[in-house]
Amino acid sequence: MTANRTEVEELVYETCLRLDEKDWPGFLALCDERFNYRVTAYSPEIRNDMTWLDRDRAEIEEFIGMLPKHNTDPSPLTRHAQVWKVKMAGDRADVVSSLQVFRTALNGGATELLAVGKYYDTVALDGGRPRLLARHVKLDTRDLGWGTHLPL
Amino acid sequence: MSRNTAQWLAKPKLPPTHYADPAIYSDPRLFDEEKAKIFKKVWWLACHESELPNPGDFRTYRHPGDAELVIVRGDDMKLRTFFNICPHRGNLLVYTPSGSVRNFVCIFHQWAFNVRGDCVDIPREKPGYQDRLCKDDVALKEVRTEVGFGGFVWVNLDDNAPSLRSEIGAALDYMLPELEAEPLQTFWYYQARLKTNFKLIHDTNSEFYHDYLHVYNRITGMLKPDSGYFQRKYTAFPGGHASVGSMVVSYDSYKSTGRSVLGWPHLPPQGWKLVDLFPCITINLRTSVLRVDTYIPLGPSDVILEFRALGLKSDTPEIRRQREKDAAVIWSPFGRNLHEDLLASSGQGIAMAKGSQPMYVLQAREEDATIHDEVGMRHYLAEWSRRMGRSSADPYATERVGARAA
Repeated sequence: MTANRTEVEELVYETCLRLDEKDWPGFLALCDERFNYRVTAYSPEIRNDMTWLDRDRAEIEEFIGMLPKHNTDPSPLTRHAQVWKVKMAGDRADVVSSLQVFRTALNGGATELLAVGKYYDTVALDGGRPRLLARHVKLDTRDLGWGTHLPL
Repeated sequence: MSRNTAQWLAKPKLPPTHYADPAIYSDPRLFDEEKAKIFKKVWWLACHESELPNPGDFRTYRHPGDAELVIVRGDDMKLRTFFNICPHRGNLLVYTPSGSVRNFVCIFHQWAFNVRGDCVDIPREKPGYQDRLCKDDVALKEVRTEVGFGGFVWVNLDDNAPSLRSEIGAALDYMLPELEAEPLQTFWYYQARLKTNFKLIHDTNSEFYHDYLHVYNRITGMLKPDSGYFQRKYTAFPGGHASVGSMVVSYDSYKSTGRSVLGWPHLPPQGWKLVDLFPCITINLRTSVLRVDTYIPLGPSDVILEFRALGLKSDTPEIRRQREKDAAVIWSPFGRNLHEDLLASSGQGIAMAKGSQPMYVLQAREEDATIHDEVGMRHYLAEWSRRMGRSSADPYATERVGARAA
């Protein structure tokens, strides 16, 4: 296929929409079978990168599948991504997007900023449509309050 | 049948050791007293020696006794702690949480101090101070520092406090083989600031009845008859410390763990040991990862939680990656258990906030000191009461007696 930048950008935005909707099957449908998902943050205290999630597709499916059995903050998350860079080479594209994640309390509806960071996405271009091959969520925010079970 | 106000606020028909007045979790006056009688008196775990491996490396620490500190490794490799304050005009000496220096140089007027705390430069010293003040008069304020129990760095603001070893006593003996088998290394450090009381979140490490909160712990332990879960015992130590016996965790029972077969020197396979130290330190070794929780209380309903994960300094990159994966399953900000613990503790902070009408809080389970017994909390609050000179079940009793006498 010959993907253009707009299709790649729309894939990134569509992943945000699916995740915001907690539409896990819809999100996974946008991901390649080889999908890998990582969340990291750099700690200036110990001058070291920390990997807080590192899962392949099967693991992420099981991870999501167990969510209903857990006690999880049900507050909706809203992901705002802005694609900054798209570098297409052969059958892949490397995409860098800024990311802000907002949390809206179910009780009262106040919205707070949960985290800022970047998506470093690798997109497969070798099928009929662009698919997310890998997502590295690199967070600047390290204090996530009581945290979350949800992928960002 | 529901209760009216008088019934709701009545003391439970239990010994006073088995319930707590909710005011101890929300009263600002009691919090100020905790600061004076506890926070400024005890040893706090400030960091790990692996976080400042080289001469000149430093780490800052926000001490719960309202002191900004900086810990630095000297040119003699000794770790020293100083108030992070320039003695000239009271500015912070260092602004970053870590770094490496030859001298600390205050940005304000360029006064400089070496890593032993000596003042080594005062710009235009003679023209300004003549012979009235010299560098020897303005050295940094040093804080007692000890390194021990696995290379952790402990500090105490009280120059007259007992030694670290006498304060810890035998509480960590049970984990010393694992803590001191070989050098450790911090691979995670992060914080979470919550609107709750530090004792409430420490409770979640002091009682395991709350495993009903965690499907992960139920599946991998509580529901496994052969795991030894219900045989885990609390052992109480002087000073409010307690340890929790090991078990065999069935990691494979929970899908999606990606949990490895990695272990830890001296720890039985799939083992899990935990020690709670008064007032809010938990050392938690779960099979392949050592987690250390230290809390920095800022107010009666305001606390910074510090989380560390440690592996072995000798880890290969592959082993370290696996330890991180293991830790991430339950303990990262996205982990299965941590989020649940923090939700529950925050919920307590909301529900028992000052001005609400909370009931007495129960810690009344007795099961021969096994895992669902709440003896760990009772033991903790006994030490709290001793240090505060107040009963945790009736913290204002002494004042009532005083008022009557007057």
